[in-house]
Amino acid sequence: MNTNLIVLPVIVPMITGIILLFFYRQVKVQRVLAAISALAVMALSLYIVYAVQQQGILTLRVGHFPAPFAIVMVADLFAGIMISLSSLVSLACLFFSFGTIDAGKERHFYYAFYQIQVMGINGAFLTGDIFNLFVFFEILLIASYILLVLGGQAAQLRESLKYMIINMFSSVFFLLAVAVLYSITGTLNMADIAVKVSQAPEKGLLTAVSMVFLVVFGLKGSLFPLYFWLPRSYFVAPSAIAAFFGGLLTKVGIYASIRIFTLIFTYDTSYTHNIILYMSGFTMLLGVLGALSQNDFKRILSYHIISQVGYMVMGLGLYSPLAIAGAVFYIVHHIIVKSCLFLVAGLTEKVTGTTDLYKLGGLMKTHPVIAWLFLAAGLSLAGAPPLSGFFSKFALMQAGLQQGRYGIVFVAILVSFLTLFSMMKIFRFVFWGVTNKEHPPVQGLGYLSLVPPVAILVVLSVFFGLNAEWIMGVATASAEQLLDPQAYIQAVL
Amino acid sequence: MAVLAPFALAVLVPFLYPALGRRIGWLVALLPFSLFVKYLSLIPPIMQGEPIFINQAWIPSMGINLTIYLDGLSLLFSLLITGIGTIITVYSISYLGAEEALGNFYVYILLFMGAMLGTVQSSNLVTLYVFWELTSISSFLLIGFWFHREESKYGALKSMLITVFGGLAMIAGFLFLYLITGTFEIREIVAQAGKVPGSIYYLPALVLILLGAFTKSAQFPFHIWLPNAMEAPTPISAYLHSATMVKAGIYLMARMTPVLGGTLEWFYILSFVGMITLVYGSFMAIRQSDLKAMLAFSTISQLGLITFLLGINTKLAVAAAVFHILNHATFKGSMFLVVGIVDHETGTRQVDRLGGLARLFPITALVMMLASAASAGLPPFNAFISKEMFFEATLHAGGAPFTAWLFPAAAVVGSIFTFVYSAVMALKVFFGPLQAGEGHGHGSHHTHDVSPTYAVTHGHDAPERAHGHRGHDTHGSDHGSGHHDHEAGHGHGGGHHGDPWGMVLPALALASLTLIIGLFPGLVEYSLVLPAASGAWGSAVKIPHLALWHGFNPPLFMSAVVVLLGLLGYRYFYRLRDVVESVQNARFNLNVLYDRGVDGLVKGARWLTDIQMTGYLRDYLVFISLFFIAAVGYTVWAKNGLKFTGMDLAPVSVYEYVLAGVMVVATLAVLWMPNRLAAILSLGVVGMGVTLMFILFRAPDLALTQLIVEAVSLAMFLLVFAHLPELKKEIVSRSEKAINAVVAVASGTLITMLLISGNATRLFDPISRYYVENSYKLGGGDNIVNVILVDFRGYDTMGEITVVAVAAFSVYALVKLRPGKGGKQR
Repeated sequence: MNTNLIVLPVIVPMITGIILLFFYRQVKVQRVLAAISALAVMALSLYIVYAVQQQGILTLRVGHFPAPFAIVMVADLFAGIMISLSSLVSLACLFFSFGTIDAGKERHFYYAFYQIQVMGINGAFLTGDIFNLFVFFEILLIASYILLVLGGQAAQLRESLKYMIINMFSSVFFLLAVAVLYSITGTLNMADIAVKVSQAPEKGLLTAVSMVFLVVFGLKGSLFPLYFWLPRSYFVAPSAIAAFFGGLLTKVGIYASIRIFTLIFTYDTSYTHNIILYMSGFTMLLGVLGALSQNDFKRILSYHIISQVGYMVMGLGLYSPLAIAGAVFYIVHHIIVKSCLFLVAGLTEKVTGTTDLYKLGGLMKTHPVIAWLFLAAGLSLAGAPPLSGFFSKFALMQAGLQQGRYGIVFVAILVSFLTLFSMMKIFRFVFWGVTNKEHPPVQGLGYLSLVPPVAILVVLSVFFGLNAEWIMGVATASAEQLLDPQAYIQAVL
Repeated sequence: MAVLAPFALAVLVPFLYPALGRRIGWLVALLPFSLFVKYLSLIPPIMQGEPIFINQAWIPSMGINLTIYLDGLSLLFSLLITGIGTIITVYSISYLGAEEALGNFYVYILLFMGAMLGTVQSSNLVTLYVFWELTSISSFLLIGFWFHREESKYGALKSMLITVFGGLAMIAGFLFLYLITGTFEIREIVAQAGKVPGSIYYLPALVLILLGAFTKSAQFPFHIWLPNAMEAPTPISAYLHSATMVKAGIYLMARMTPVLGGTLEWFYILSFVGMITLVYGSFMAIRQSDLKAMLAFSTISQLGLITFLLGINTKLAVAAAVFHILNHATFKGSMFLVVGIVDHETGTRQVDRLGGLARLFPITALVMMLASAASAGLPPFNAFISKEMFFEATLHAGGAPFTAWLFPAAAVVGSIFTFVYSAVMALKVFFGPLQAGEGHGHGSHHTHDVSPTYAVTHGHDAPERAHGHRGHDTHGSDHGSGHHDHEAGHGHGGGHHGDPWGMVLPALALASLTLIIGLFPGLVEYSLVLPAASGAWGSAVKIPHLALWHGFNPPLFMSAVVVLLGLLGYRYFYRLRDVVESVQNARFNLNVLYDRGVDGLVKGARWLTDIQMTGYLRDYLVFISLFFIAAVGYTVWAKNGLKFTGMDLAPVSVYEYVLAGVMVVATLAVLWMPNRLAAILSLGVVGMGVTLMFILFRAPDLALTQLIVEAVSLAMFLLVFAHLPELKKEIVSRSEKAINAVVAVASGTLITMLLISGNATRLFDPISRYYVENSYKLGGGDNIVNVILVDFRGYDTMGEITVVAVAAFSVYALVKLRPGKGGKQR
């Protein structure tokens, strides 16, 4: 169904961003406008999910030219879920920003850049055109550069330079892949590409192109061995931004991989998806080992992003309905919980001024609310039942065993164990023990105003655990859509 | 759904606590008490063989449901959980002072109660696992209740790591069972039990599930967490780490007996692990100088005994096992509670610094006498009956010929040690010359100064952080304990005002059961023991009556041997302890293994991370390019993707050759230029070459764009250069340079080959034809490129404009907002 509805999650943040530029002096006005826009996008996203469930896949041919020639936007259930998550996390981190981002940044277009960031992410989720995907990648990257570097501390400049250069490197690969794909298939529309690829008599070069895409999206999604840019650059960012990026940004790469490896490159899964499966195992393992080697709240969390991404890709690599549903469920779980944990780190930083484990202690006594929020979110990340992390991992494990892939299931379980170890390390150092006299936590209840955005995410993680039936139903439905490319192709062409 | 009641109350506690204060304990105790009464009322129907079954859909699409199944086995456990739960909660009211974090305490304990009830009542394996892990988490929180102490943190982590490791193995085992039977419902699995042992998944399922059970129930060699778990407040140790939680593994084995039992693997694994744990635990208990550590090892050994019985797997053995579960909970729970009282009142738990306490605390002494007599296996106490059954079962175990003598011998040896430590706890502590902790030096012959267990951990945990003000040490590790100086106990330490009634009465209530059940075993035989045994066995179990007297038979003879040798052992206790000490004084033991393992894991992780996360961009780019070359290069080669023929190519002119040559030379020159200016000029040459290429290919507007981009960036570079420091010569080794060169050449070659092959593999008509045909018709413009940019793909252009705009504003923001001025800038 062709509808203008689905361009709104892209256009609304863009227009808000432009408007915010004019109010750069009036921080209050900026906050109100940004909040209204974020709430509106949230409502829109949820409505889109509802509409997709009612009417099937929604499309928009921008400019109303016929299908393979116009840029097409597509909202299927997976895309709908992703934009809902993106608006949820952007909303939570926005409210967290109000209390943690300093006035200087607020006057220097922080909220405007933030809106453009949302625009880029939503655009990437909603596009049905491979070159347009490149464009939105550029938007979300340029916005992420500035959000990482804004403030201009030496460490920020150093790490974002690496982040930027590696991402430009990946953009080159992206262009290469699109160029070769275009010369083979003569089209940029992803549904059309899927048709042409399935008809192509010789597929060797196409498989090579799929590997280039894997490099590109692996870089964005921080897969093994392409994740080097991630841990340090997220560490230097302010917590609100680290939470926003940690939850969402890598997932754009994962989303794109799942999209093309369920829609386009599905003809040689025993080769391509097997490679993905191996990468997922190494990603999980090396990510969690990286986390174990760190002694800083935010650094540990950054490394865990890598290991968690491995689980999602594991679902893609297994490539069965249950596995893909598990991956979708895992993405939902991860985005919520990971953002939440970064926000908890932000809360900790707010009250103590540090995230260094050796300088922290005893917060359970002084700030019990933070301790409880962390415990729930940390256990969920580690996959402790009955929180959302458990059921999503469980689905993946079950899918793996059903296919006799014992090795990857073993790795998944091992990593889950090590994740718990790592979460408990944070818990023991930050919340247990005694207060560090050199870094005394701020007394008073001022920090409680920052709790609601975090608490909402924790409640959602608990809710998605106890109500796993519902979310698993949605994930299964979206996995069925993903594994039935014909429906996507028919809706678009 | 009574299972959920504790969780509901746990949620309310933080809100009620500020209003009720210390009295909240009474409110909390009301819950397990009313549940206990409710479960008592369920005994009659369940005795009749009518189990309670409730099925509440939870996640039906994944086969996960909240299925509650209450048969004899589950009922026995539920009664223990709620009954002892009531006693413990009442006891804690006096045990914990008002200044403790009581809100947390009661939340944890309720969480545990609900989780434990859920574990023993769920008949869905996944739901069981959910509750199972919740017990591990609540145990973690309770062990770490005094979280300012390093020992508590250490013990909490150790218990969690080991039990969660087992839990994860167990869930994998459950998944294997699912692969065999297609369901997670235990009752449905039992119905298909016949096809389990023959399946190829049987052995992995068995081993993995047993890993879960053994870690939880502290079986050798996974028992090492239990002594460290003694850092928890003593009522918690009594409740979780002796009476209930550690029996979850036993419960699981009993529950799984109809499915997994009856095979040789089951028989040998369980009986040997159980036997070793029994003997080893009782042996180690002797050498502990801390009463709580002694109890920890005694619990380990008794759990081993029950596992042993389940391994023997005859009707008698299973009945003995469930009976002993009940008996052990009564006597060991009471012993813990008494030790709690002693610690609370005297401030120490060191065997060598205590004596004659019966004069100060006569009723407490009575409780200990009852409980330890049962523990020692003396008539007429309950454990005498179950121990006789145990002896009987070992005599008829079946299996290989050597088990016929090995099993009874091990049973007797374990029981002798058990007798000795029970006697020490009762007689040494409560009789003889009065010693109540303070002032008496080291009475023992052995003093280790530092426990190596902690030395390792402190190495990488924050060192020297708060060795809490409560100095009791329950290492109870294989090293024995070192420090002998306890500071003041909990709440009011030191003062001896006679029996503290708030704690003694609950303990007495529990201990009296040892005698009541011993004298009247009929009370529990038909109501609890046989229904529970039937639940574990899978069908009705009939055994000879439970009774103290079975005539002169081999078990009675074995009991006599135990008592005689046990008395002898008590008489020469210190000498015996020295013997034990000398045998078990190895520097390398399981605790060291655990500590080195944890430490090695962290060090290994750091090493592995440091070699790849170097912090150098050039390394990262090399890694990424290598992966690109490997993945794409291998694929294009293996899948026959390369193609260089069949292209309709225009002839290459001389100009183009020259231009290409110049660009190559200029590119290479960038690498060798000594300063930035020269480098950037070389780069400019490359850019201009591209511009000329566009002109040769007759794309003037592209050439113009490229020219402007080149000019602007060159100007920008020159502007910025004035502010940059001198270009430093990068120090890179020759071999690294060589690698970089190879990687660069290989990536370049690969990209070129891909582009050529792509050009040669045009399989379909491109969409650009549509743009050519419709550019004027639909877009109203002659310049196709412009129409595509602003019309056909205007949405892309909007995005690109956004990128440029963001870049512009970013530069402005970066220039204006600099650190130092930062937030203060107006």
